[in-house]
Amino acid sequence: MVGGFSILLWVGAFLCWIAYGIQYSSDKSASLNNVYLGSVLVLVVILTGVFAYYQEAKSTNIMSSFNNMIPQQAVVIRDSEKKTIPAEQLVVGDIVEVKGGDQIPADVRVLSSQGCRVDNSSLTGESEPQPRSSEFTHENPLETKNICFYSTTCLEGTVTGMVINTGDRTIIGHIASLASGVGNEKTPIAIEIEHFVHIVAGVAVSIGILFFIIAVSLKYRVLDSVIFLIGIIVANVPEGLLGTVTVTLSLTAKRMAKKNCLVKNLEAVETLGSTSIICSDKTGTLTQNRMTVAHLWFDNQIFVADTSEDHSNQVFDQSSSTWASLSKIITLCNRAEFKPGQENVPIMKKAVIGDASEAALLKFSEVILGDVMEIRKRNRKVVEIPFNSTNKFQLSIHETDDPHDKRFLMVMKGAPERILEKCSTIMINGEEHPLDESTAKTFHTAYMELGGLGERVLGFCHLYLPADEFPETYSFDIDAMNFPTSNLCFVGLLSMIDPPRSTVPDAVTKCRSAGIKVIMVTGDHPITAKAIAKSVGIISANSETVEDIAHRLNIPVEQVNQRDAKATVVTGMELNDMSLEQLDEILANYQEIVFARTSPQQKLIIVEGCQRQDAVVAVTGDGVNDSPALKKADIGIAMGIAGSDAAKNAADMVLLDDNFASIVTGVEEGRLIFDNLKKTIAYTLTKNIAELCPFLIYIIAGLPLPIGTITILFIDLGTDIIPSIALAYEKAESDIMNRKPRHKKKDRLVNKQLAVYSYLHIGLMQALGAFLVYFTVYAQEGFLPHTLINLRVEWENDNVNDLEDHYGQEWTRYQREYLEWTGYTAFFVGILVQQIADLIIRKTRRNSIFQQGLFRNKVIWVGIASQIIIGLILSYGLGSVTALSFTMLRAQYWFVAVPHAILIWVYDEVRKLFIRLYPGSWWDKNMYY
Amino acid sequence: MVIQKEKKSCGQVVEEWKEFVWNPRTHQFMGRTGTSWAFILLFYLVFYGFLTAMFSLTMWVMLQTVSDHTPKYQDRLATPGLMIRPKTENLDVIVNVSDTESWDQHVQKLNKFLDPYNDSIQAQKNDVCRPGRYYEQPDNGVLNYPKRACQFNRTQLGNCSGIGDPTHYGYSTGQPCVFIKMNRVINFYAGANQSMNVTCVGKKPHHHKNKGKLIPEDGRDEDAENLGHFVMFPANGNIDLMYFPYYGKKFHVNYTQPLVAVKFMNVTPNVEVNVECRINAANIATDDERDKFAGRVAFKLRINKT
Repeated sequence: MVGGFSILLWVGAFLCWIAYGIQYSSDKSASLNNVYLGSVLVLVVILTGVFAYYQEAKSTNIMSSFNNMIPQQAVVIRDSEKKTIPAEQLVVGDIVEVKGGDQIPADVRVLSSQGCRVDNSSLTGESEPQPRSSEFTHENPLETKNICFYSTTCLEGTVTGMVINTGDRTIIGHIASLASGVGNEKTPIAIEIEHFVHIVAGVAVSIGILFFIIAVSLKYRVLDSVIFLIGIIVANVPEGLLGTVTVTLSLTAKRMAKKNCLVKNLEAVETLGSTSIICSDKTGTLTQNRMTVAHLWFDNQIFVADTSEDHSNQVFDQSSSTWASLSKIITLCNRAEFKPGQENVPIMKKAVIGDASEAALLKFSEVILGDVMEIRKRNRKVVEIPFNSTNKFQLSIHETDDPHDKRFLMVMKGAPERILEKCSTIMINGEEHPLDESTAKTFHTAYMELGGLGERVLGFCHLYLPADEFPETYSFDIDAMNFPTSNLCFVGLLSMIDPPRSTVPDAVTKCRSAGIKVIMVTGDHPITAKAIAKSVGIISANSETVEDIAHRLNIPVEQVNQRDAKATVVTGMELNDMSLEQLDEILANYQEIVFARTSPQQKLIIVEGCQRQDAVVAVTGDGVNDSPALKKADIGIAMGIAGSDAAKNAADMVLLDDNFASIVTGVEEGRLIFDNLKKTIAYTLTKNIAELCPFLIYIIAGLPLPIGTITILFIDLGTDIIPSIALAYEKAESDIMNRKPRHKKKDRLVNKQLAVYSYLHIGLMQALGAFLVYFTVYAQEGFLPHTLINLRVEWENDNVNDLEDHYGQEWTRYQREYLEWTGYTAFFVGILVQQIADLIIRKTRRNSIFQQGLFRNKVIWVGIASQIIIGLILSYGLGSVTALSFTMLRAQYWFVAVPHAILIWVYDEVRKLFIRLYPGSWWDKNMYY
Repeated sequence: MVIQKEKKSCGQVVEEWKEFVWNPRTHQFMGRTGTSWAFILLFYLVFYGFLTAMFSLTMWVMLQTVSDHTPKYQDRLATPGLMIRPKTENLDVIVNVSDTESWDQHVQKLNKFLDPYNDSIQAQKNDVCRPGRYYEQPDNGVLNYPKRACQFNRTQLGNCSGIGDPTHYGYSTGQPCVFIKMNRVINFYAGANQSMNVTCVGKKPHHHKNKGKLIPEDGRDEDAENLGHFVMFPANGNIDLMYFPYYGKKFHVNYTQPLVAVKFMNVTPNVEVNVECRINAANIATDDERDKFAGRVAFKLRINKT
């Protein structure tokens, strides 16, 4: 944006100085107007540059950089001694020691480890802690367990390893260089602005050359003609527009920040609006990033739990005594605890010590049963076996809270099939029934059903240990397992999922109607991914995948016609085997796509695939590994909460609440800003003609100059600035989320219709209105219009001090000059009055002003007031400062152009009426911009 | 990724242009079909026709507010300016005595300028008025025009009248006549009922640099000395009140502007002399900082003698 536009202004400035140079060389007393004009142009470029820089610096500062990720110190064994050295001094081959809480100082091959777990989320996006040992498990360095990566964190345990890569040669350094290697492409709005500059420059140069030829053929000196040429080109440069666009964008950026979209790059504001494909993460963006109990199965029945953000509305039947037993197991067989000091935090928001599913169960029981810690206290824990991956169950033995019941209660939870193996009875309606074939079958049906929803299912069982065998004093030994772990009583199943955010389905529907394709890209299991995609509407309720169709028709997958399926789930493995053409085919043919089990690297491939479809792609991401994809995307969106610094660095925008719905609000704002920029530009371009015509008439008809360059500057940089910014506050005309995203190459910001309508319709009307004021002033002072024609040479001659007017009065040069300034002021006021009308008509492009509401956008009225006040100050406040060429204007001249202003309004209403009445007609095609 | 910019060959560009100018498939000329062109031309014909009519109408309405005889406002003309004849390119009167060509153009201009002042024409067209009084011809509710004008006879200019003058207004002898006239302003009662006259001095013109400072004495003296002695016609450079007020071109058809002729008798030859003439009248300010010709006129005089 800054490039093309500033160059235009720079060229304008240099032309001004050249013009002055030419004038000066022929006449030493040449007016300094051109020098002022040039300097102001340069000032405008510099100011807007500084402003834009300041804006971006402000948002960029919020991001921390890669530097923050560099570990400061590393413990290294050199010369048989443990030394602490700065991490950057590490070399390949060093033996380093890392303990829990430290950052890994380089890429390290593990030599030995004790219970080491690392958090690789910043690198791979996996949020589960990963165990690390010296065992080689995979060919791929990212998958194998014996490498720790630079900048990841060691969560627990200790590890000793050998440095294998340092600095830029580490995996993360590689990604960083990949991210910076992805070229920064021009944003759509920058391309639009460039296109606009081409149009403006084209118009300016062609009119300039045309009038150069005319001037030469009218026998003006070539030198004068060159100055005219330069003047015309400069008059066409919309000086204020660059600043206005920057301010408008930053206003929207501010508004978006309020809605949790922090925009780093101003131009990205609009890019979001033209987005046609969103590649979204699942975890945290579409979902709440919190395991939550979704379903329960007991008494042979599936119950649905409330998974909304606050869990408030648990409606399942809690009267059964099976539930009483189940709830006891859930409460007791759980090691998770709330972190202390959160009494006032809502339950769902409390921080928990313990893993995700235990936390989910803790919160679930806290919500339904009340104070869990109190219940646990009453049922003192005697002994427990924590969950481990070989047992796949967790067990604890408690005293009961019934003082008369001396039995111990053993509770157990774990993988459903393992739990069922240990049971011989099942509890139905509070009574124990033997576990037979049919009940086992209902269990399996329920298990499959819940599993098919992509949920993590846990089984729960219990056993009251007989008091005679296990008296109160019995000492349990978990190593010897001196208690039964079979023939238990199965109580129920509970399934958990990371549920979608409640606002997401709506947001996805909005995207749909806005013509935006939402693609889910996740590292998760395809079944879970598909389930979430279905529940948020990324795969709509009535569409099927090839597998679904095969399942329904009971035929092999290969026999299904690919065209019948609207949706598809593609796994990372499949993606690996695909050629680019196949990927393109999938992206083009399926409306609803889910990519599951993908690695962050594959995200880049997906993004590039989307871009090959000519789409504007928005990508969300949080891991370091996402940064190339974020950079590559037309708009990269990093997660504010879960995102790594690297991702935030690479992104154009940061979602402060990690919520997908915020993207949609962003899209809405982006579309609105595009429409409003169109209005702003139309508004600004219009008066260019009114500023240009005087110059042309001056050359052709030889009238005294109707408006000076300084006066033009006061319009472009004075009265018109606030109104054009005010248009940024305009509300959308219709539901902008119900139309297709704009086509990058077809729907231009400044199209032919806009230019023609602004220049040749409204602009011309404005010029006529302003000329009317000008002629009125001259006529009422004695120079009737016909006397002005070809008066230029004598009028401007300093030595003619007795120029005769229509009535035979004679004027000195200064008297004429003062009248000329009054003419400038009159022309200025004429344009000003009509720009008010122009501002009002630009509020809408299709709807009537009365549909839009004349007073809904208060800022427009501030703009109008500012125009009038600045005009009044210039005319009456500074009337005596002749350097500015303003004079006191008689009050009635302010109203001369009003009929023309009203005409502009009426004409535009008629235009809009016909556009609404005859959509698609000749009128619509030619008059709608 | 490198942006793949489609590089078009020259031939393709020409092809595209050809297709833009005339597309044989869609029968489009410059992007529009014949009917489309017809529509658009018709539209602009009607639209611009309407705009022209609208503009003409508003201009016509505006012109109704303007009288044909007197201007609506005269605020800019509170102080009439002064001007010289002969009118020259840079307000300088340069006379090479030996070179007839150099002053002949001035003489021609003056002859033409003074023709309407010929006594015969004046007597035929204008009244003999009472000196020292304004010659008022009020309308008294009924338009009363054409107004009569007072005689200003060429003979009143004495030695500068140029009648039967072999020296051609003194230009052939290096004693040139310069005529001072005051700008016409409608309904302006110059002098406010008191007599007024024109005086001239040798004086460097003000420069912005000297604003507020005294002009160096010697500079003024030098010009004054070089200017030498001069004679004015009518005597004292008087301008009579009877030539005022002026009623405008339409009413005051034969109005004859009063003149003051200054004959410079012995200008130091071969130097440029700055002359400033100003009018001394009660209601004409001559000290306007910005308007250098308000109630005064500055010009250069140079007599080249070999």
